[in-house]
Amino acid sequence: MPNQVSYRVYDFLKEIAPFSYLEQEALLQVAGRVEVRYQPPGTVVFRPGEPPRDRFFVVKEGAIELFSEDAEGNELLVERCGERDIFGIRPLLANDNYIFLARAAEESLLYAVNSEGFRELIKEYPRVLEYLATSMAGSSRYALEYRAAHRQERIPPEEPPDLPALQSIHQSREPVVCRANETIIDAAKQMTEMNVGSVVVVNDERWPIGIVTDRDLRRSVATGMVSRKAPVFTIMSSPVLCIERKATVTEIQIEMIRSGYHHLVQTEDGSDKSAVTGVVSEHDLLLLQGNSPAVIIQEISRARTTGYLRELRDRAERLLASYIEKEVAIGYITAVMTQINDEIIRKCIKLGLASMQAEGHGNPPALFDWLALGSQGRGEQLLRTDQDNALIFEDVAANRYNTVKGYFLKLSDYVTEYLNEVGFDYCDGDMMASNPKWCLSVSKWKEQFTTWMIETTPENMLNTSIFFDYRGVWGDGSLPDKLSQHIFGEMEFKNTRFLASLASAALQNPSPLTFFRNFVVERSGEHKDFFDLKSRAMRPLTDAARVLILQAKQGNINNTLRRYEALAKLEPQNAELYREAAKAHEVLTRLRAELGLKRGDNGRFVKPSELSQIHRLLLRNSFTPVKEIQQLLEIRFQLNYIR
Amino acid sequence: MEDGWLARVRQKLTGGKSPAPRDTWPDWYRTYREGYAPLPPPATPLDEISIVVLDAETTGLDVRRDRILSLGALRVTGNSISLADKFEAYLPVPAGFDASGSVSIHGIIPNSTRYHHMDEPTLLASFLQYVGSNVIVGHHINFDVEMINRSLQRHDAEPLWNTVIDTADLARRLRPAGYWTPPHDYSLDALAKRYSIPLSDRHTALGDCYITAVLWLKLLRRLAVKLDGDLVLGDLVKG
Repeated sequence: MPNQVSYRVYDFLKEIAPFSYLEQEALLQVAGRVEVRYQPPGTVVFRPGEPPRDRFFVVKEGAIELFSEDAEGNELLVERCGERDIFGIRPLLANDNYIFLARAAEESLLYAVNSEGFRELIKEYPRVLEYLATSMAGSSRYALEYRAAHRQERIPPEEPPDLPALQSIHQSREPVVCRANETIIDAAKQMTEMNVGSVVVVNDERWPIGIVTDRDLRRSVATGMVSRKAPVFTIMSSPVLCIERKATVTEIQIEMIRSGYHHLVQTEDGSDKSAVTGVVSEHDLLLLQGNSPAVIIQEISRARTTGYLRELRDRAERLLASYIEKEVAIGYITAVMTQINDEIIRKCIKLGLASMQAEGHGNPPALFDWLALGSQGRGEQLLRTDQDNALIFEDVAANRYNTVKGYFLKLSDYVTEYLNEVGFDYCDGDMMASNPKWCLSVSKWKEQFTTWMIETTPENMLNTSIFFDYRGVWGDGSLPDKLSQHIFGEMEFKNTRFLASLASAALQNPSPLTFFRNFVVERSGEHKDFFDLKSRAMRPLTDAARVLILQAKQGNINNTLRRYEALAKLEPQNAELYREAAKAHEVLTRLRAELGLKRGDNGRFVKPSELSQIHRLLLRNSFTPVKEIQQLLEIRFQLNYIR
Repeated sequence: MEDGWLARVRQKLTGGKSPAPRDTWPDWYRTYREGYAPLPPPATPLDEISIVVLDAETTGLDVRRDRILSLGALRVTGNSISLADKFEAYLPVPAGFDASGSVSIHGIIPNSTRYHHMDEPTLLASFLQYVGSNVIVGHHINFDVEMINRSLQRHDAEPLWNTVIDTADLARRLRPAGYWTPPHDYSLDALAKRYSIPLSDRHTALGDCYITAVLWLKLLRRLAVKLDGDLVLGDLVKG
């Protein structure tokens, strides 16, 4: 039976990653083998060059400082580890000696975790290694540690320090190779053509003798240190680290941590005495791990091409897939994905602005904001759908209006083109900022919304349902705010009729079930026999939420789930229905993402036969609130007269 | 630091010589005594020897009448406490004892199936095997040692032979009682508070051991500062 003391240790560790990934039983065993170490201030935990002795450390209380030593033996503070921080784990995984000096800055208690059992656990809990590898790859402490670790063996001491950044390297099925006497410029051309980040230098038998990465190129050629005409062997890293073709991700990760190399060469038999079969980069591994939202968002800010943005959006999709699989709450998933999408939109606007500059159009002539519309506006978009966007700019003098609008139309051309390249298709209905109709000043937008609210034609109602869910993603929010104030001002007068029309539009798609409780499928066209998940089930819910929240004058709530939450508070008598509606929307969102991921599309159309029993049941249950909410609209807005 | 008073009395009586192993000893006690290695020389650096921190939970405070309920011990080597190398054993509440009082203190439910109970000789035998010749450290340790010694005598064995150090004495040595530190401030609770050791799992044998072990390490550190040098065994035990 585990004793109270190891329970106490367990309680402490279970909140800390990667221990948090272990099951209770396994973690209790780890806790039971912990050694509690007392470190008076100033005492050394380990010194550079010492072997790691099968344990790593978690700070229970106090603080430990890690120092590196420069050539003159001066100590440089690398990191201060406080309570719950882990240190001393890299040398252990790498079978390497300590690089840093660890010393107690305060009176400290450490939990020395016995790695013997922990190493076994790593095999059973891939997430633990994933966590360790990712946190190490992302941390400058470990970056420094890598470099220090193989400074002696690889990097000549006069080399300027260069923190290895996460590089954009594609994994090639067919490795790109070159011969040692080819020129650097030829190798570089090949890398660009094949869109890879590294080229393996091989001998006559295709054995790897070295590797040139884009980092090597940057370092040697871009700085002018080596002629571009020089043979590649003058700049290649040699020897290369080889692994077997069938090495697992875990083995590759461990090897990378151990060696500090960012590229491993796969060969027939895992030695450098056999033919090259592929290259794995650290970057490839990060891709495999599904990533963290933070890494993706950080990478988006660094991206320079839409191609890379597209790749990042693909990575986000893999992240989404793992969230869906792990049944993470939809509210969280949509928040993460919306943030990633917003970041991509902002990046595309930045790229667009740069292109405008490059073409001599200069800076934006007026304040503007980019409006995300529809599902992205509501922050509910999971998979890439068509773009729905608009642009709003501040009022300018009449004589400048056309010039200013001309600038923004051109900018929007770029931005929508870039978004298209990232994978957000152009909108069929041309509801995009590049359309002169949807690139307007604040005053013109106000007029437009007023028109929509007065002339309640079906087409206007459709526009309303898309445009009313606008959300600024570029500026400080002041321009969209002006628009919102205007809309609510207008509603004071045009309230009833407008809302009734809006409600009526929300009933455009009646009951998704036929009389025989079969799904209503599309009768003709491209999607014949498919059930339209979006317009038959989700649209009625989002539309109803919008009308009801407008009626309640809560214009700042822009998301279907939050709208129903707010409505449930405002109308306690209908709270249950609203909560059911929110839940149905959540189920549908999840289902659509799941289907879309499986098929590689936006998941809108579904063949009833491709649904599993459980999905069919979930779907059918979600129709009940759809029907009830439609009835509520009908009664509230007295629509039985209109229809 | 003073040695166990019993040991001293015993040394006076026997002229400092160990008596010949007696035929009546149980096997486990004979093994313990025959394997007993003398204390290392006083100049031995303290971080080179292992000590055993001990705590006993009992039915009460009367050494003549009360009995041991559980025994916990942790080994401390240098500045490390190894949780894997622990000793933990429980005895059933002896007949004729109202255990309810001790339940409220120790949280030990009498004869609960949560604990693996053993009989007293088994407990003593396995404890002696665990402790070997290590120096024993504990808080007000003479009481715990006396409880064990009485129990040993009941089973035809002789007292513990180990050198004993009391953390309360150590604390007193670092900060003598006086106007600012009334005598009762040397309780484990008060000291743990003074040296900022969290008081979780108080009144379980092993929980108290752990607190005492951390206290021991923290006190040693302060003694080393006071004596201005690395501690040797002689700083704590008079030869």
